[in-house]
Amino acid sequence: MLALQILIDGFAISTLYALGALGFTLIFGVSGVLNLAHGGILVVAAMIAWYVGTSLGFGAIEGALAGIVAGILIALLTYLAVVRPINRSRAIPARERELFVLTATLLWGVMIEEALSYIFTNSPVTVLPLLPGTIDIAGVRTPSNELLTAVIAWAVMIALWLFVNRTKLGRQLLAASINPRALTLLGFELGTIYLLVWLIYGLLAGIAGVLLGSFLGTGADYIPGLTGSAFTIVILGGLGSVSGTLIAAYLIGYIETFTAYLISPSLREIPALILLILVLYLRPQGLLGRR
Amino acid sequence: MRVITPSKAIVLVLVLAALALLPLGANGYILGVLTTAFYFAVFAMSWDLLFGYAGEVNFGPTFLIGLGAYGAGMANALLHAPVPLAILIGALAAVAGGVALAIPALRLSGPYLGLITLVAVLLLQQAIVIFAGVTGGEIGLSVPDVLSIDSGPNYEYALAFMAVSGVILSLIARSALGMILQAAGQDRIAAEALGFNPTRHKIMAFAISALFSGLAGAFLVFYLGTASVSAVVDIAIGVRVIIAVVLGGRRTIIGGAIGAVFLIVAGELLRPIGQLSDFVVALIALIVIVIQPDGLLGLLPARRGA
Amino acid sequence: MNAPAPRLETTRLHKRFGGLIAVKSCDLAVYPGEIMGLIGPNGSGKSTIMQMIMGVVKPTSGDILLDGISIAGKPVYEIARAGVGIVFQHSRPLRLQTVLENILLGLLPDRITRLRPPQGAVARATLIAEECGLAGVLHRLPATLPFADLRRLELAKAIARDPGLILIDEPFAGLTRGEVTDFANLISRFRTQGRAVVLVDHNVKSLVSLADRAIALYLGEKIAEGTPAQVMRDETVRRVYLGGAITAQPRAAREVPSGPKLLEVENLSVFYGKAQALDQVSLTIEAGEFVSIVGLNGAGKTSLFNAISGLIPSTGTIRWNGTTRRRTTPGAIARAGIVQCPETRELLGAMSVADNLRLAAQRFDRAETAQRLDWLYTLFPILKSRVDQESRTLSGGEQQMLAIARSLMLKPRLLILDEPTLGLAPVILGQLSEALTRLRETTDITILLGEQNVTFALPHADRVYVIEHARFVWQGPPARFAAEAGEGYL
Repeated sequence: MLALQILIDGFAISTLYALGALGFTLIFGVSGVLNLAHGGILVVAAMIAWYVGTSLGFGAIEGALAGIVAGILIALLTYLAVVRPINRSRAIPARERELFVLTATLLWGVMIEEALSYIFTNSPVTVLPLLPGTIDIAGVRTPSNELLTAVIAWAVMIALWLFVNRTKLGRQLLAASINPRALTLLGFELGTIYLLVWLIYGLLAGIAGVLLGSFLGTGADYIPGLTGSAFTIVILGGLGSVSGTLIAAYLIGYIETFTAYLISPSLREIPALILLILVLYLRPQGLLGRR
Repeated sequence: MRVITPSKAIVLVLVLAALALLPLGANGYILGVLTTAFYFAVFAMSWDLLFGYAGEVNFGPTFLIGLGAYGAGMANALLHAPVPLAILIGALAAVAGGVALAIPALRLSGPYLGLITLVAVLLLQQAIVIFAGVTGGEIGLSVPDVLSIDSGPNYEYALAFMAVSGVILSLIARSALGMILQAAGQDRIAAEALGFNPTRHKIMAFAISALFSGLAGAFLVFYLGTASVSAVVDIAIGVRVIIAVVLGGRRTIIGGAIGAVFLIVAGELLRPIGQLSDFVVALIALIVIVIQPDGLLGLLPARRGA
Repeated sequence: MNAPAPRLETTRLHKRFGGLIAVKSCDLAVYPGEIMGLIGPNGSGKSTIMQMIMGVVKPTSGDILLDGISIAGKPVYEIARAGVGIVFQHSRPLRLQTVLENILLGLLPDRITRLRPPQGAVARATLIAEECGLAGVLHRLPATLPFADLRRLELAKAIARDPGLILIDEPFAGLTRGEVTDFANLISRFRTQGRAVVLVDHNVKSLVSLADRAIALYLGEKIAEGTPAQVMRDETVRRVYLGGAITAQPRAAREVPSGPKLLEVENLSVFYGKAQALDQVSLTIEAGEFVSIVGLNGAGKTSLFNAISGLIPSTGTIRWNGTTRRRTTPGAIARAGIVQCPETRELLGAMSVADNLRLAAQRFDRAETAQRLDWLYTLFPILKSRVDQESRTLSGGEQQMLAIARSLMLKPRLLILDEPTLGLAPVILGQLSEALTRLRETTDITILLGEQNVTFALPHADRVYVIEHARFVWQGPPARFAAEAGEGYL
């Protein structure tokens, strides 16, 4: 039942991509930053989860928690050590700021990749699944972890939606993505809001990284591909559009799964890249983005 | 047009002369490091023409370098073209690829253009792997001919190539074309109000940048004896090209060369700490970017206040 | 005798941005050897017309003829080469080239293979520089030049291609009186050279001695045309700018409570790069007062308010409630009681009316929020009926009321209102005025109002300041305004 297998696998991976890409969109929408070190954050979370869970032997749950914490920490570090200093630097002219941030996050991503490669070597590893064993769905044997992964990812996304739309802090974030100046005029401190956004991003990326690591495996070499997938999804969906990101995540996730099953696993990333180039040339604002 | 002040010209000539005499005393290892550094310098200088002057960020310079390298390598290995012809073919491949990328890409703005150049590298990498039959795939493509077997002549070739490229690129940067490029890069509307079509000039800048990057990539293949993804089509290498320009001083052309040599030499000096050397160099670069975005040349008093 | 053909002519020039009509079917003509002034407040369409002539904005319909040839919709560089030179409001020199090289750029042909400038170009550039008074700074970099020289450089660049038509945006902004005279002479020389010149500005006063003709625009339409003096006296123009005839309103003298002033500003100066937006301005406000600052767009009101709100850097002293201000953030200043409702309103367009208000109320508990909402809805009843509507779909007047209501939600001690009447229909002004009166009657709030519309600003005010070219030029009670400051205002 190849079709069903593709359907299930595609769903799981699309959901994880959606989770990761949501974080990417969040950072872009509120903080205005295209974080080209995104893949690095995902893999740091995954590697720490593997290290604590498997290498040190603490078990799957402890490993996952450690990985998520690592994701939060490295995201905050990215903001405090890379993004914020550049935004505040008086030496950099205002019109080049965006460029410097992009270059710096790109460099930071390369640094993370090299550090991980040095500490853990490039050999791919797999994060311990939270739920061992397999489940039989209409004749297709699926790892239970895969289903759990999709459920957790959806739970997190719903929680995020509730947070943004139903809580005071969440609505501040939403407002910051629409008009940061308005918030300042109303007495809010933008600095605190940015810190919060990066913290939430770290949480999302941490969870996504750990889950992806248990599903696809992880390693320093995964970083460029993960960053590439994330910004393919975000560009395809439209920079700044949450629903666009979700739709695009499923599109890309399924395209990759199809390619992996029907053509070759090593070529899984190619159709998405070609799609990205086409989108950039033909409709740069993506499916649902505002120009 | 004012190209360069006499005092700076004398300093440059002296430095080049000193470098040219180096093989008389230095050993093969040092010459080898510097040879790589010189080719890297051309990568950086051609990147600066595009960025510092035309104002376009190319996040994937290794797309152009890779086209040049593999174009030349395949011409030599598969078509048995002699080295000079192969290098020419590589350069033309880079120019063709660069212009093909630029024409539609220049309709986009801001982050989109940078992203397209980045994606171009990823696609090139994938293409090389898919067509491993002709490209050698992940193992790489070894070429039958090389520039020279000895480190001395290789070094002189690289030095000469860097010096000539540097002079030509500097002349272009400081020429009328360079001024128009700067206007187009700094302020599109202002450039148009003066009667210039910025897109045409930027395509020209892309083409020139591609030419020199492609040439350097091709030369590099015939120095190393092989073309491989990790050597010429890597994102990390592309990032280092950008770092070299920012470190040395953007919008100066020569700054790129200084930054490139500095990066490669620093990387070698840190070799004793093993694999971490790349990380440390990148860390230093990040700190420099944040604290001194005008780079090393920005420390000179003549440039402050510009 | 044949009338000369116009150098520039627009026929039924029309521009619509989405639902907003910026320019309504405008016909105008400028003749060689003539200086024309195009005046109007923000939102009048004058900048859009200029941008359409230049080619930055494509007209929705209508035509633009340069010496009889249509240039509407052509790319900017083609229009520039056809003979249109432009001086932008903000100087944009190439930072790494000298003054001479900047001008030389304008003399280069548009060819990608050119490495050297054409024969004689350097000499021509030098001549142009001398003509514009830049002979002494030919080899200096723009960063080292004073503001007036940067403006001269912009003029020089604009005439490099020997244009038949020159557009100048805000010709005198930021210049001292002496420099203004200098520039005016330069521009007069363009007229003598047979060029057609269009000056775009906020007010007629500065153009009176220079322009041969003037056209006044409001909300995209021509409302007056004639000599500058005629335009200044035109009924419609005065109504639009001043809101009507300035009549003295007798008001009861206010009791001035003794004690520390609420806000004291001393020697406040604001610079944007080299341009001075505020020049050693001082003012004081007592608790409970209503102070109006009247002045045209560009006079410095917004810079003053932004400096008080901490949104831009400034030099000078600001004392709030007796305490001198030290390093602080704009958010903290708002929380301390100074709340600004800016000219741009800064609403959260994608959010509803209720959400905009509730965001402002986040620091209060539910009971207090409900109470304040009720109060605001009595002040602005129209908002209650639009409570769940997305705020960007509200009309201009409703948006302004929402912006004010949102600021009031924060319980400010000092409310700063920047140009609330801009672009609003007269009937809305009445509603706003009533709301302000009620506000003053029912609370002890202090209000600082910045307005171009004098008729709106005077009746509520306890005191009036007049600001012009970054300085206060008059101060006093509204009763004396008409007699002392009213004449020279426009």
